[in-house]
Amino acid sequence: MILSGWESVFFWIFSIAAIFAALLTVMARNTIHSALFLISSLVSVAALFILLRAEFIAGVQILVYVGGVMVLFLFVIMLVNVGSEERGSEEIFNRSRQVTTSVIFCALLVGGLLYAINVGYEGLQKRDEAAVSAAAEQRTAADQNLPQAATGSSRITKETERVGAGLYRYGSLPFEIASVLLLVAIIGSVMLARTLKQEAAVDDTAPEILQREAQHDPEIAKLQSTIAQ
Amino acid sequence: MQFLLFNFLNPAFGMLLQAGGNGRFAIAWEKAQHPDLSKFLIIGALLFIIGVAGVLTRRNIIVIFMSIELILNAANLNFIAMSRYLQDTGNVNAVAGQIFAVFVIVVAAAEAAIGLGIVIALYRNKETIWVDEIDILKW
Amino acid sequence: MHRYIWLVPLLPLAGAAINGLLGRKLRFSEKLIGGIAVGSIAVAFLITVAAVYSYAFSSNAMWPQTYVTSQDGAFNFTWIPGGAVRLTQGSQEPLALKLREEAAAKRAARSQEQRQQPIPGGSEETRGSVLDVEWSYQLDALSSIFMLIVTGVGLCIFVFATGYMRGDAGFYRFFAYMGLFMFSMLVLVMGSNFLMMFVGWEGVGLCSYLLIGYYFDRQEAANASRKAFITNRVGDFGFALAIFGVVATFGTTQYTDVFGQAATFQLEPLGHWGLLSWMALGLFIGACGKSAQLPLHVWLPDAMAGPTPVSALIHAATMVTAGLYMVTRTNVIFQHSQTMMMVVALVGAATALFAATIGITQNDIKKVLAYSTVSQLGFMFMACGVGAFVIGIFHVMTHAFFKALMFLGAGSVIHGMHHEQDMRRMGNLRKYMPYTYLTFLAGWLAICGIIPFSGFWSKDEILWNAASTRYIPVGWIVWIVGTIAATCTAFYMTRLVAMTFWGKEKFLNGHDHTVEHEVHNHDHETPEHHTHIPHESPPSMWVPLAVLAVLATVGGFVGISTAFTGGKHIGGRMNIVNFMDPIIWNPTTRHFGHEEILDSAGRPVEGTREARAEVVTAETEATEVASPYGEEGFNLAHVAESKLHSETATEWLFILISLLVAGIGIGLGFFFYVKDTRLPDIWAARLRPLYQASYNKYWVDEFFGWAVTRRVMDAARGVFAFDSKVIDGGVNGSAWLTRLSSRITGGIDQYFVDGVVNAIAAFIVRLMSPLFRAAQTGFAQNYALVMVLGLVAAVALFFGADIARAVKSVFAFGL
Repeated sequence: MILSGWESVFFWIFSIAAIFAALLTVMARNTIHSALFLISSLVSVAALFILLRAEFIAGVQILVYVGGVMVLFLFVIMLVNVGSEERGSEEIFNRSRQVTTSVIFCALLVGGLLYAINVGYEGLQKRDEAAVSAAAEQRTAADQNLPQAATGSSRITKETERVGAGLYRYGSLPFEIASVLLLVAIIGSVMLARTLKQEAAVDDTAPEILQREAQHDPEIAKLQSTIAQ
Repeated sequence: MQFLLFNFLNPAFGMLLQAGGNGRFAIAWEKAQHPDLSKFLIIGALLFIIGVAGVLTRRNIIVIFMSIELILNAANLNFIAMSRYLQDTGNVNAVAGQIFAVFVIVVAAAEAAIGLGIVIALYRNKETIWVDEIDILKW
Repeated sequence: MHRYIWLVPLLPLAGAAINGLLGRKLRFSEKLIGGIAVGSIAVAFLITVAAVYSYAFSSNAMWPQTYVTSQDGAFNFTWIPGGAVRLTQGSQEPLALKLREEAAAKRAARSQEQRQQPIPGGSEETRGSVLDVEWSYQLDALSSIFMLIVTGVGLCIFVFATGYMRGDAGFYRFFAYMGLFMFSMLVLVMGSNFLMMFVGWEGVGLCSYLLIGYYFDRQEAANASRKAFITNRVGDFGFALAIFGVVATFGTTQYTDVFGQAATFQLEPLGHWGLLSWMALGLFIGACGKSAQLPLHVWLPDAMAGPTPVSALIHAATMVTAGLYMVTRTNVIFQHSQTMMMVVALVGAATALFAATIGITQNDIKKVLAYSTVSQLGFMFMACGVGAFVIGIFHVMTHAFFKALMFLGAGSVIHGMHHEQDMRRMGNLRKYMPYTYLTFLAGWLAICGIIPFSGFWSKDEILWNAASTRYIPVGWIVWIVGTIAATCTAFYMTRLVAMTFWGKEKFLNGHDHTVEHEVHNHDHETPEHHTHIPHESPPSMWVPLAVLAVLATVGGFVGISTAFTGGKHIGGRMNIVNFMDPIIWNPTTRHFGHEEILDSAGRPVEGTREARAEVVTAETEATEVASPYGEEGFNLAHVAESKLHSETATEWLFILISLLVAGIGIGLGFFFYVKDTRLPDIWAARLRPLYQASYNKYWVDEFFGWAVTRRVMDAARGVFAFDSKVIDGGVNGSAWLTRLSSRITGGIDQYFVDGVVNAIAAFIVRLMSPLFRAAQTGFAQNYALVMVLGLVAAVALFFGADIARAVKSVFAFGL
């Protein structure tokens, strides 16, 4: 899948962008900036997905990941991070011991990974040379049969169709499990994020905690009296 | 523009490259012009490492979460790149990579939801988002 | 009928079992209990009579052969099986000898080394020498006489006891014990081997204990029963040793085998003490214990604490005669040892005189009779000791008659006097108790030896045989002692009759309670402190007295002396001497039986063994017949005969002497107790030391108490001290040591071992805990870092070598 021409140019643009945005995510002082940089990194990676002819996944990434998860992040940042701007220059990195050690190990890790990838790819290339060339002709032949797009410059690929077929044919059970997982996540997050008042209202607190909080909070004391009946 | 680029700049650049370093640069430039699977994997690895570094070094809990998202994203990239490569080699199971990527996104979403719920609950109790202040589970 | 003798012991046992086990539980009436007991003895007696008749007097009589019930399978039970094949007894008595020879030959034929190894258990020996003990009954002359005595006199006594024991709460128990006693005694006399005799021996000892201690709530009775049993036991020890000797020497316990083998042994005259002498010694010790000879006589007077029927049956007629039975049964063994014969005779004579002198001064009617029994038993042993075994048995028989009669008479007196036993409180009872008086007179005359009562015949024969014995050299001493004892016997028996039945009543004043009473549950009013008029006993009590009186009067004619019959024992089998002949062994001829037996018509009876000529005609010929043992000492009869030149005349001389001394005794008794009643006290004062010695029974009990009982108790105390100080001290000391060592070990464990462990553990913990603590930062990113570390390690593991090589190559090449 050797890219060439403009594809390679876009590859380099988007990959540099993704890496740069990721770096800035990690190193930004403001949390909102971190979130926005993460969004740009995710979008760049979506573009890379398109270059890899996984349009569906790119769309899912933008819609779900960026549009759902990152928005959620932003909401939570708003909720919990309000005071950091007021505080000003709070240290954003950990103590130097932790940071140093992590940087060293990450460096080692990246070195190892890069080497592994290179060597692995060489081996992979050697192994799949014949298959690649064989499949290339098939693909070009198959590509010719694809219908034309509305603009006429490219064809409507069958990628998404294949993904859907595979997902619903072979991955239907994991699909259902994933949906159950999401359900559980919904319920769990609702439960986790309840306030004490909400929990007391549905009688889901331990009495001694209720007692302790009632001393600080008159509203809870009110609630306590209503519960006691 | 394209004309300029391809017919003038490229050969010039190529000659430059050829001249230097016994042609090593030329080879590298040639290689860079045609990114293949390994480049994608390298990008994925780099994104991964950055995410790991973010998890390990930042104090803000939300940033840590976002670094985790970076990690998952890098994994996704790996999956899709390999899926494309397998397609190229004619493997009929090539689409499994994209399917897996879908599930990774689903899990990432669920995990983000739960995790942020925990962050909110934690913030309500401890009034802090700095991770090094949340160290009760120690000696 | 003699095949059914096995029923004879069984019936009293059955009666005893029924009475004993069911008597109280099913609440039998006294009539029923008495009926069962008397009935069982009566049937046993009838069977005995029929069996003896069938054995001895019927047309196909087996006499003089011994009949053992295992001979024809009438009753045989292999009690202690010793070998694979049983030996049949009786007619095959020489078989044992033959087998012994075979065994010896086999042993000689074996190789040298085999012979040197002792073979345990004798399993390789032939059948004859394997100890095989069976339970079968023997019927011969001796056992038949004893069976008749035991069942016959026992029947009379049982009937008496039903009247005497009326109203007693333990009526059933009494008859159960009595029945058990009858069973044991019958096993003793009917047994065909030594072990059965020993079983019966022990059984009668047990029953004696049970019956003497019948009134178990009285200390005196309990002490007396214990004393009887223990004294008996001392004798049993000797008897047991003798039985061991018998088994070891002869290899069997059956009488027929043992005596057949013993007859072949060498005689052991005076001065030679051999194997058979040891055996005889053991047997005689047993006889001393059971038959109350010196010095084991101490239990018999005390045994009067039991009920009177018990005294009559056990201590007059049957149990005490078991010793006699045993000595006569084993006369072969005794006659082999002249030393033992002398011992028997001397001990008997000493006992006779000793007891007679004590009896003179006793005041309890039963005690007088008890000492009289001891004395008469001495007479019987005297007879056996001088070789007149048959006469000894004859005296057993007559003694059973008159002593049982007198005991029952005394019981009747005691019953009539409401349990007054002291003769000083009686007197002139002939007015109140005529039947008792008349029957008692018969017994009195019999024991004094007045012709023609039974006692005369037997006692006279004893004294004659003592004087004329060829068996031991000191017969004349025995004769003198016996004569003096006979005088004393006559004296004290006259004293008894005079104090009890003649003279004036001494019970008409009130009496105090210092005198012992026989406690007895009575259905009359309880004895009170005012005079009682004695009354005659009921028929159940005086009818047996009458029967026994008749027997005491005429029972002696079966042993009529040869002086009266012209030198021969007439009457054939009815004459006791003839009847018992096959039992007695003659050491001179070495045969069993020594006379050609003539029946009542004067014809010789078939089947009797003929003896050598010189012995058969011994009565008519010269009296110089050598003693079987070689030397002969001073023989009084021979001296007298040399003067009178006729055996019969000599006999008549001795008869007259014994009648004379009996008369002297009776006369003195009359004089002292009828004519002039102050005389006893005067003479008691004059002969004060003798009187005291006699009254206190020569202090024998006190001596035994000091010498034996207290020494044993001292030994027991010593052993107890040893046990408590040394042994318990050792045990306690070891316990103390254990505790000490455990304390030390505990200390070591606690301070040293635990200290080390604690120190090491504490040291390690103190060392490691900061390190471990440091790892628990609670800081999640530290933990994540550790994860990354692991990841790096994994990568290094897989690609480390290659990476290192590549790095090196890059650097090697330069860039």
